Amino acid sequence: MTTRRIFLAGLAAAAMPKPSWADAGTPAYLSAGKRGEGYVLHGLDENGSTLFALPLPARGHAAAAHPIRPEAVAFARRPGTYALVIDCRTGAGHHRLTPPDANQFNGHGAFTADGGLLMTSEVVAETSEGRIGLWDATSYTRIGEWSSGGIGPHEIRRMPSGALMVANGGIATDPRDRTKLNVPDMRPNLSLIGPDGALLDQAELAGLHQNSIRHLALVPGGVAFAMQWEGDPAGPVPQLGIWQPGNAPVLCPPGDAAMFAMQGYAGSIAATDTRIAITSPRGGVVMLFDTAGQPVATHRRADICGVAASGSGFLASDGSGALWHVTDAGLQPASSGGPQWDNHMVALAA
Amino acid sequence: MRWILAAALLSATPLHAGVPEALARIGKGYQTFAAATADLDTAAQASCEGLKPAFDTAWDAWLHVAQIRIGPVEDDGRALAIAFWPDPKALGAKAQRALLTGDPAALDPERFAEHSVAARGFSGLERLLFPDAALPADPCPLIRATTHDLARMAAGVNADWPAFSDKLAYPGGPGNTTYLTDLEAAQALLTQLASALEFTADQRLGRPMGTFDQPRPERAEARASGRSLRNVVEVLKASRDMALDLHPEAPQTEAAFARALALVDRLDDPTLGSVATAQGRLKVEILQNAIREARAAILSEIAPTLGVGLGFNALDGD
Repeated sequence: MTTRRIFLAGLAAAAMPKPSWADAGTPAYLSAGKRGEGYVLHGLDENGSTLFALPLPARGHAAAAHPIRPEAVAFARRPGTYALVIDCRTGAGHHRLTPPDANQFNGHGAFTADGGLLMTSEVVAETSEGRIGLWDATSYTRIGEWSSGGIGPHEIRRMPSGALMVANGGIATDPRDRTKLNVPDMRPNLSLIGPDGALLDQAELAGLHQNSIRHLALVPGGVAFAMQWEGDPAGPVPQLGIWQPGNAPVLCPPGDAAMFAMQGYAGSIAATDTRIAITSPRGGVVMLFDTAGQPVATHRRADICGVAASGSGFLASDGSGALWHVTDAGLQPASSGGPQWDNHMVALAA
Repeated sequence: MRWILAAALLSATPLHAGVPEALARIGKGYQTFAAATADLDTAAQASCEGLKPAFDTAWDAWLHVAQIRIGPVEDDGRALAIAFWPDPKALGAKAQRALLTGDPAALDPERFAEHSVAARGFSGLERLLFPDAALPADPCPLIRATTHDLARMAAGVNADWPAFSDKLAYPGGPGNTTYLTDLEAAQALLTQLASALEFTADQRLGRPMGTFDQPRPERAEARASGRSLRNVVEVLKASRDMALDLHPEAPQTEAAFARALALVDRLDDPTLGSVATAQGRLKVEILQNAIREARAAILSEIAPTLGVGLGFNALDGD
């Protein structure tokens, strides 16, 4: 029997505006990290101050923010067994996504622009064949999957056109311990996938098939992509490329003096209107390029990895708990004493 | 109450007593390196003959600080230019051929510093002093340009080091955005050691070892000057000394280095050419494992006492 009190509460709820990101303090970034033995997801403001910190069940990697509701999906580190949908106002995990039995999450995901669909980067565990998992973003139920167009997909990004860009890293791994199984004949690619799951375009790197394409940032007309070199460490190869679908990908080597500064390994990438930043925790560097792919600056900081656009520059995170403002001129501390920031800072749509 | 007081006193003592000792050793090492390369340059400007002793002394001096890849050695690609190896695409030899036969004005000091890092430094000099085939022109002008460039870079590193050393010695100080805490300073030095030993095992020994079916003795570093094994020895000694600076009471680390150095003594193979035989390759592999064990000992014994480990993200690999 409906009492008057409950009836009134129901009316009040109906009259309430739908929850928005402002209700979560309007974080600008999400980043996973480790504090002590615990894993966390932080919401950060423009200056890197923590607005909320939520516990995670195991080491996180990246996150995807719902374009409208104050909801984030935190993805487990590869090979991932969970993705957690978190209400960023309260810290409550209200759905826990588990990949289908044969699949594993690969650390990244993206929503469609209307927020109706969540797409997750996955592999078939036994073969490392790439899948894009499809989830209804209201009920968070599995509704299907697409081929990712390659082996070992990692980051995926929604393009302004609505298509999905997939970085297929090309590396087949042991589903239990991440041992790489096919490095001599790996074949990474970039795959552009339409709203129906059809492959619209694909790019490979001629002569550099051991350069695993793993991370993506949107740039006008396409993506900038960051790579990890699996070949001879003595061979200087670019870690940055730019692909505008319809054209061949363009590789962007650093200057002569910095050719090994990243130790062949780019961990994250982000772009502004005028700059592309790639980071290397192995080399302890963040490198800035202009949008044509010409090197501009190299800045050093140990274990720096997460990076996201921030105004005309970037905000970057390191494994010692510090956040940094990054400009052509150098690094300036934004905050310190945070958790050991994990690989990625995810910028929330403004 | 007494318990609490004792704990507070302990935590107020400097956490990383070994850092200043390690920094002092590095500073002294750069002074020696600058002096040795200046001597080498002086000798070369006088005569391009008989340079081997000065060349060896200078390269040894570099190897005593070569594990440090932070600070002024990283400016302008200096560390790369000082010792560009490995170079599987022979970028250095190609660039040098152009310099040997091209416009002599390209050897002017200001212009020389702009040339490819692959063409300069000890590896470049070695190809001129110990050529494996006839050179297309008199190498003496390029030898002199290279020794001058080496001495210039070494002087620059030596001059710039004290300011950077202060950043490590006084982390978190005003304007110090490089190192925020003493843990970070200790971690930076420890990471350098671990990387240098990894490079020595994987590259200095691993490249000539090749695979069991296809050893590649011709790929050894500094083969032409007969220094392949000597380079390994000097790096091991320097790494041991710095590790023990950071934490003097490290018996496992000390024993692991002693074992690796004893294995070197028994190798009697200056260019590592013995990897061409199965038995010889096995001996080098045993040395390679011993170096990896020394690295592991540093990480298991010294790192915890410093309260540091290798990078959180650097190790993740994703």
